[in-house]
Amino acid sequence: MGGERQAGGPDEMSGASRVNADVAVPAARRAALLRLPAYALALALLGAVLVAAFAFGKFPVAPGDLLRSVAARLGGGDAGLPPAVETVIWNIRLPRIAAGMLVGAALAAAGAAYQGMFRNPLVSPDILGVSSGAGFGATVGIYLGWPLAAVQGAAFLCGLAAVGAVYAISGLVRRHDPVLVLVLAGVAVSTLLGAGISLFKIMADPYTQLTAIVFWLLGSLNGINALDLASAAPLVGLGLAPMLLLRWRVNLLSLSDEEAAALGVDVVRLRLVLIAAATLATAAVVSIAGVIGWVGLVVPHAARFLVGPDFSRLLPAALLLGAGFVVGADTLARTMAGIELPLGIVTALIGAPFFLYLLARSGRAE
Amino acid sequence: MKRRTLLRALACAPWLLPAARGAWAKAGDPGQPGLVTAFGRLPPPASIRRVFAAGAPASVLTAVLAPQALLGWPWRLSAEALGALPAPLRDLPLLGRLAGRGSTVSVETLLTLKPDLILDVGTIDATYASTAQRVAEQTGIPYALVDGRLLDSPRQLREVGGLLGVPARAETLATYAERTLALAARQRSAAAAGRRPGVYYARGPEGLETGLDGSINMETVEVAGGRNVAAEAGRGGVVRVSLEQVLGWAPEVILTQDAGFAERVMSDPLWRAVPAVRAGRVLCAPAVPFGWLDVPPSVNRLIGVRWLLAHLHGVGRAELERAGAEFYRLFYGTDFPGWAESGKRAGRTK
Amino acid sequence: MTIVETHALAIGHGRRRVGEGIDLAVGAGEVLCLLGPNGGGKTTLFKTLLGLLPPLAGEVRVLGEPVAGWSRAAFAQRVGYVPQAHAGIFPYTVEDIVLMGRAARVARFGAPSRHDREVAGACLDALGIGHLKRRVYTEISGGERQLALIARALAQEPVLLVMDEPTASLDFGNQIRVLEHIAELRGQGIAVLMSTHQPEHALRVADRIALLAPGGLAGIGAPAAVATPARLAALYGVGADAVAACLAPHLAAHPSTIPNPQESCPS
Repeated sequence: MGGERQAGGPDEMSGASRVNADVAVPAARRAALLRLPAYALALALLGAVLVAAFAFGKFPVAPGDLLRSVAARLGGGDAGLPPAVETVIWNIRLPRIAAGMLVGAALAAAGAAYQGMFRNPLVSPDILGVSSGAGFGATVGIYLGWPLAAVQGAAFLCGLAAVGAVYAISGLVRRHDPVLVLVLAGVAVSTLLGAGISLFKIMADPYTQLTAIVFWLLGSLNGINALDLASAAPLVGLGLAPMLLLRWRVNLLSLSDEEAAALGVDVVRLRLVLIAAATLATAAVVSIAGVIGWVGLVVPHAARFLVGPDFSRLLPAALLLGAGFVVGADTLARTMAGIELPLGIVTALIGAPFFLYLLARSGRAE
Repeated sequence: MKRRTLLRALACAPWLLPAARGAWAKAGDPGQPGLVTAFGRLPPPASIRRVFAAGAPASVLTAVLAPQALLGWPWRLSAEALGALPAPLRDLPLLGRLAGRGSTVSVETLLTLKPDLILDVGTIDATYASTAQRVAEQTGIPYALVDGRLLDSPRQLREVGGLLGVPARAETLATYAERTLALAARQRSAAAAGRRPGVYYARGPEGLETGLDGSINMETVEVAGGRNVAAEAGRGGVVRVSLEQVLGWAPEVILTQDAGFAERVMSDPLWRAVPAVRAGRVLCAPAVPFGWLDVPPSVNRLIGVRWLLAHLHGVGRAELERAGAEFYRLFYGTDFPGWAESGKRAGRTK
Repeated sequence: MTIVETHALAIGHGRRRVGEGIDLAVGAGEVLCLLGPNGGGKTTLFKTLLGLLPPLAGEVRVLGEPVAGWSRAAFAQRVGYVPQAHAGIFPYTVEDIVLMGRAARVARFGAPSRHDREVAGACLDALGIGHLKRRVYTEISGGERQLALIARALAQEPVLLVMDEPTASLDFGNQIRVLEHIAELRGQGIAVLMSTHQPEHALRVADRIALLAPGGLAGIGAPAAVATPARLAALYGVGADAVAACLAPHLAAHPSTIPNPQESCPS
């Protein structure tokens, strides 16, 4: 073609992503048939996972005791159970399950938004450096011996700052596809922050701080309390609100910038709003749960598989499946081994094979 | 056994032959194999004036035996810890640690420091042995690896004391260590018939990290006759556990070295469900200048053994104050900072 | 009525000028075809007309208003853009794709209404691809995709359609189908500005032809006056005999080859 098209233009981008995109191909064919049952399926899945999450754990709670306690809570009165059992059900498992739903829903929604606006189904919410920023903030906080709340605050702010820096850097580079520049700037900033994390790990006290840093970076819902939930939930809500409001308009960002602009969309502003929203939600959950991979990558695929790519249908499905996935993975994380497994490891163990399964399946459909 | 064979194979490798003459230097009781594995030719004891401690346990061992020989600290001590140390130790610089790829000190820095000996104390495995061999070969500085188990403390003190040319001082400290361990051994055999109290050692910012069975971090508890409740979850090092698990283990005593956590845990409604918290049995060990339970895992834990014996079993309760004062005077050459003071300072090691 | 007009327009990226002194106008119900070699600036000109690139000099007016004065949404309600058919990334249905043409008419926080769906359906039917409505855009053929993109642009309910090589990479049959639809659009009073690499396509549908060479317009006017073998040979840098051999049947057969004395041929 020659000079008529700008180098690195949107057409190149979409061409490069075409192979990846096939992962999601059979989805919409199903979409029309499965629309309502798909949501029912997602809800049923979430319900089953929630029941399992309440029923299983390291502290033995008999199913009868669980039912009695729930009945007592609902109907008033006293179940007459030992206080330790009540504490386990209502003060340990409940906040942890609620946190799992919040984390999963936020990461899945952010992943779906990022995949749509970056026109690339292999994108995850970390693409612009929010996780490495949060990881860096937490590492520095642990290294300086700050209290837990301050460590979480540092993680949240550094996550936002990392994405802000990526966006600012991409604004300085003109004459290239803005999406490509954003992604490349995100890779560079993430790598830089990763190096910073390693530096602090090397300097940290190996007997106390280093283990704390490693555990934080692997992610966990262990030790999340009502206060953490209360601080993260409004931020997640603030991040999800623009996605819900703009649910149909988000679709237009999956076109090239010029096409979308020609259809009347203010592409730069819409993308900025979505990046800010997805980053806010991600940073909020990463700051209380640590870095949890694969949720934002795999869940949007599964959701697209069920309801198709239209974001106004995709978003609710991703929220439900994301919540179910993380609560389910966390239930495994706390019951599978004698010790508490990091949640990030369990999500990878489930997510990666599932992703390959989707890949293989769509390959056959072709 | 396998490890020994591998070590031997390494030591006998042809390129090591000139240096290997000094290897496998044995000291101490001729009936037992020595704790010290040396790479390179060890200098005669009296001539060692400059010791580079490869890790934190080695620095503590050197600091208590021959403070004037220690070149610097391999890790960052808190201001409180430094303040609690006597003059030569208090002013030592931070040099970094030597641990293969995880080293924070360069070989060139090492050479400019001109140490007579590199000392490393801890678990000895093939990785550490080959690292030591490589450093000794590259720098020409002899490298001594010492097995660092708590129960071997008297022999560590004697063998390293001999190496550093301070046998008399080593004997004094070793005697204290022997008395402490003997007290603990009596208690353990006595409690074998009865039951040992279930202990949960809360580490990490949320108190949800702990050592599994066989973890070096749990040695103090085990030596002092406590039952590590996390041993149920298997063998290993430091891991994360959930509060639910701690509830299930229902420990009678919770240990920590973090005064902030000890305070929080008493007012936290979730932790109130743990029997130890309800009974007020949350014990905060002092951590200045070095931790009483671990951090670092070296001879500093001997006073922790005494403290646990007194608090878990009531053994030597009356003499605890005296034993603490004696330990601080003998090992660190300072006054015992006192319970309240040390408890408050125990906050965070930075 | 003039829908789009340019005056002394200079186009290019940043400091790099691709063409200048471009004067052209397209009226309602008129098809203007742009011919020119690769690098001649056809895509750059389109982007400038669509307000996606700023003019380096001169101006572009749509319905009498400078392009910069239009809001994106108001502009999109009047000017439809048909890009070259692309594969797409996510498996949207054809209906989803066509509904995106309604973006400028859907409330910011809303979703397409029943009316929007009816318009989209009508646009699909108009192009004869109503049966593809529920099919997945990434799975239909290239020609069907091109028709779907035209339907999307029609869903904008535009007065001007800008089409970037709508027949490129289509098979023979689809090329003919697309050209037939373009001729129909003219009948509906829509102004069409399209580029093509195939002079015979221009000869088939264009009311006027503009030749865009590096540097600016090399001619604009009635097809027979502009698309002569000699001028095309000069434009593309090939022999006039070869061009004549390729185009002979079209020049002879097409009705609009009758010279129109009103048309002028600048420079």
